[in-house]
Amino acid sequence: MNPSFMRVTSRFLIASMLLGLPLQSAHAGLVATERAAMSAQSQPDRERIRAFLDREDVRHEMLTRGVDGEAAKARVDALTDGEVQKVAGRLDQMPAGGDVVGVLLFIFLVLLVTDILGFTKVFPFTRTIK
Amino acid sequence: MAGVLLSAWLGGCATPQTQALLAAHSRPMQQRAELVSVPFYPQEIHQCGPASLAMALNAAGAKATPQELAAQVYLPGREGSLQVEMLAATRRNGLLAYELAPKLDDLLAEVADGAPVVVLQNLALSWYPVWHYAVVVGYDLDRGEIFLRSGREQRQVLPFATFEHTWERAGYWAMLALPPGRVPRSATEAAYVSAAIALEKAGQPKSAEAAYAATLDRWPRNLAARIGMGNTAYIRGDLSRAERAFRQAALDHPDSAIAFNNLAQTLADRQLYAEALTAANRAVALAGPELAAARETLEQIRKKVP
Repeated sequence: MNPSFMRVTSRFLIASMLLGLPLQSAHAGLVATERAAMSAQSQPDRERIRAFLDREDVRHEMLTRGVDGEAAKARVDALTDGEVQKVAGRLDQMPAGGDVVGVLLFIFLVLLVTDILGFTKVFPFTRTIK
Repeated sequence: MAGVLLSAWLGGCATPQTQALLAAHSRPMQQRAELVSVPFYPQEIHQCGPASLAMALNAAGAKATPQELAAQVYLPGREGSLQVEMLAATRRNGLLAYELAPKLDDLLAEVADGAPVVVLQNLALSWYPVWHYAVVVGYDLDRGEIFLRSGREQRQVLPFATFEHTWERAGYWAMLALPPGRVPRSATEAAYVSAAIALEKAGQPKSAEAAYAATLDRWPRNLAARIGMGNTAYIRGDLSRAERAFRQAALDHPDSAIAFNNLAQTLADRQLYAEALTAANRAVALAGPELAAARETLEQIRKKVP
């Protein structure tokens, strides 16, 4: 395989996300199970992302790269439940221990914020601030 | 995304997880484990995905050959298999696909617990990737070695550091294929219930129901699993079982509009209209993101009331 493998993967993910998120149960009248998972989890997730962006080390890293932490936090409030879950899921997947703002974590964060500001388009779930 | 991360990141040679694991004074896990009973399918050219998946699926009790799985996951044009298809094919075979957190100790803990782990590796370099799927079947902490069924090797022995390098370059991707009643040792509540929901969406209500039941055993207050119990019973046409699940959901989560909405629909299907109306009104009163659905349910029930 070649590097476009990842591009295909992310296309696939975007497609499945677009198709998957708004899907209601095929059975009229029932609300699909995934909707229950979203509403239950999005609030604590939102708090976690905000707390993460609030951390001194994270703020410092963003500041030295010229990213306004408040703008990023405002954007978190505007994310949908599904988007919040995806971001929080990314936070969960970071290897634990050691240097907290590790390289991976840092790149993730910068890309997330630059996505939001419209410089990049890496994550399928971000929407640019116009 | 991983591609961007990898190309931006590679250059360093540290294997932090290996070092942390081997340096730990008190290791909570077994020193050594090997799942000798995991079958071995030597891979055909480029077909490491179907071969690896077949080994994991067989170990979990599903009958599937690499040839059958190749039709489900192998993309001839790309000479490989996408991770999402590996997950999807697992579900299509009635098993729960669980993506592990990118942690070496989690991965080893699952192996010690008896579950072989399918991993994606990049055997070459970030700018010249050679993607490869293999199955981790054992490890030895003292010797610092990990054992894999890989390619045409039935028992490949790799030093932890080498494995971590190749695994890291593939974004630390690892998955389990499990009988749906079994919760992985390292599972988080949100990730496990998502895996169960994916099973339901893959058209496997029976397996999904078992996974929801297992979720509730471990996390009794999980709303999604309770709703899922009801929805899967409903899909299978077992309305009394669905009703029981939604009643319990409404009892445990009196603020859940979804619980009351789905209870109302089920009661209406059982022609218990008076009670259905009460539940539907409650769902509308709770409002929230499902308000439109709740209103629609209420209206439909009103139409049916004789």
